[in-house]
Amino acid sequence: MYSAPESMSLDMPTFHAEISLPYTLTPGGAAGTFLAEMKNRRIVGSRFANGEVVAPAQDFSASDGEPMASFVEVPQTGEITAFTRVDGTIIAFIKLDGCANEFPHRVLGDLDAVRIGQRVKAEWDDGVENSILAIKGFVIAEDAAVGTVSDLSEPEEAIGSLDYALALPYEHAYGPYYGRMFDEIKGFGRVMGVRTADGDDALLPPREIDDISHTPTGTWKTCADTGTIRGCSIINMEFIGQTKKPPYVYAEIVLDGASTRLIHLIEIDDVEFAKKNIGPGTRVRAIWTDGERKGSMADIERFEVIEE
Amino acid sequence: MALGKVAVVATAQTELRPLWGEAQHIDLISAVVTSVFKGSGFSIDDVDFVIDSGSDVLDGRSISNCGFLGALGAHRKEEARVEADGIWALQYGVNKIRSGASSVGLIVAYSKPSESLVENYWASQVEPFYQRPVGFSQRAAAGIQAQRYLADRGCSERDLAELAARRWADAKAHASVQIGDVPDAEAILASSESALPLTELMMARPVDGAVAMLIVDEPSARRAGNNPVFITGMGSGTDCHAYADRDPLKLASLEGAAAMAARAAGWSAKEADVVELSAHSVVGEMLAMDVLGLDEGKAAINRSGGALPADPIMATGLCRAAEAVRQLREPQLYGGGAPSRAVVHGAQGVGMQNNCVMTLEV
Repeated sequence: MYSAPESMSLDMPTFHAEISLPYTLTPGGAAGTFLAEMKNRRIVGSRFANGEVVAPAQDFSASDGEPMASFVEVPQTGEITAFTRVDGTIIAFIKLDGCANEFPHRVLGDLDAVRIGQRVKAEWDDGVENSILAIKGFVIAEDAAVGTVSDLSEPEEAIGSLDYALALPYEHAYGPYYGRMFDEIKGFGRVMGVRTADGDDALLPPREIDDISHTPTGTWKTCADTGTIRGCSIINMEFIGQTKKPPYVYAEIVLDGASTRLIHLIEIDDVEFAKKNIGPGTRVRAIWTDGERKGSMADIERFEVIEE
Repeated sequence: MALGKVAVVATAQTELRPLWGEAQHIDLISAVVTSVFKGSGFSIDDVDFVIDSGSDVLDGRSISNCGFLGALGAHRKEEARVEADGIWALQYGVNKIRSGASSVGLIVAYSKPSESLVENYWASQVEPFYQRPVGFSQRAAAGIQAQRYLADRGCSERDLAELAARRWADAKAHASVQIGDVPDAEAILASSESALPLTELMMARPVDGAVAMLIVDEPSARRAGNNPVFITGMGSGTDCHAYADRDPLKLASLEGAAAMAARAAGWSAKEADVVELSAHSVVGEMLAMDVLGLDEGKAAINRSGGALPADPIMATGLCRAAEAVRQLREPQLYGGGAPSRAVVHGAQGVGMQNNCVMTLEV
């Protein structure tokens, strides 16, 4: 039990994983127009019914939720209202001339020159489009004249969608139970689970507490690498996250000696053959990979149907 | 008909460590879920529902609670996930019991930020067109908050460091937090810059851990194995998503949440004996103390150290509640006295956008 541990942290190997997902972001009317106008080096703001101007443009007022009335072009000059520095980059709140709000952006230059109320102007980055980073940042402009807000003439059509990607890397801890299970797979090519308090069949993956009775589990047990399919689906379509090109069978297999289902794949050549011959009750055997085992479920390359 | 009363009858928590390298989520969760019943007078069979808090982004899997149900003790029970700090899971659970729908609830919150890049987690919370590209995120918000706070209140970085040092020392003395050498004010000032003017040790330190809490209705509380602690007030609030649009020198949503809790309890945070606050930085904590009108001389504030030395993101607020429960039930561990009222606080979102306050009484 970990609630009152005696041990110090151990430096254990981790399981590396990454979730990397593509997105299509929809900026909407205001942000879409703002981003589209970046290539024209115009900063688009929103004017609201009460006369307030907000930049960058917003479809709805952040303070009262009112919809915007019209687009405006706001000045490229303003002042710093707050600042910090993160990883060497100065990030400040900028209040553009004629605007009611502040927004975060970078300040280029020396921290010593940055103070509250400091006049700044936008510096553009050639070659960047459809991003707020077309404004590379704001530079100190002591004597910059105070600009005025004007109507936005002939605005670009709003960008409908933007491709985006987010990659999140992980180093997962195995823990004592999964850790031993993968060690056994790596070292000895065997799949081990733990018995429950009331039976001989093993839980796979092994765990400290039995899910159903919420009591501590018992001793370790080696399961066979043969088993029975208890649920399956013939996959004939490509989608994100697949480890194998279709067609194949996704199968939930109860190994002989285990009580829980293990998820794995069965290779097939022919979908029609699979439809007739693979289903709940079908007996299967693990096919281990050739060469050195890595201590992962992928050390079992696939399962194949046992001809009995 | 008046709503029913709800009591905390047991809590359990793992040690909070920067890295629980030898345990995965389910190991930490099953540890606290098993422990929380010991001596409580209740068993898993008594539990009507389980509510858990965690983050799919931090966990690295979607709907991660589905994989943790067994460890949570939720097999064939009503289970719900709150993708928010654990104090909101507690709020949900209390309301379920007050409504009369259930009698016994198990609240669990857990966190393993060591498994992912916390910066990514924070970045995922900000708006992707205007804020994320320029690098505005949690740390920048805390830095800007601090810069404005120092300018307005006329205090110095040293004041920040001294408060942070006290919190680290308190965590070492009173809480189950893994700490090597306790940093003094000098060390805090000398630690690397995180978000000017804040140094790394002025920010909340992400840690791994899990916490569980058993809550019951009033009739059930009579058979508890230990003094029940009643939850007598709750309030929560949300501020603008854009940090730049908020009032920089107060936490408006905390103000609202505290007022809501005080109305229900009949007393305000100023009158508390024990206070446990969550904050993302030392300045966030100072702002929270200001908003609640707290005086360090009167109440025992963050005797557990609070979130600065140990921030199990998504479990922090529930840890605060567990710490306050312990201080109310076992004052002898903290030098005696007879504390009867506690205020606990949870916060989440960039720049502490959302706040939740509860009042506890024995």
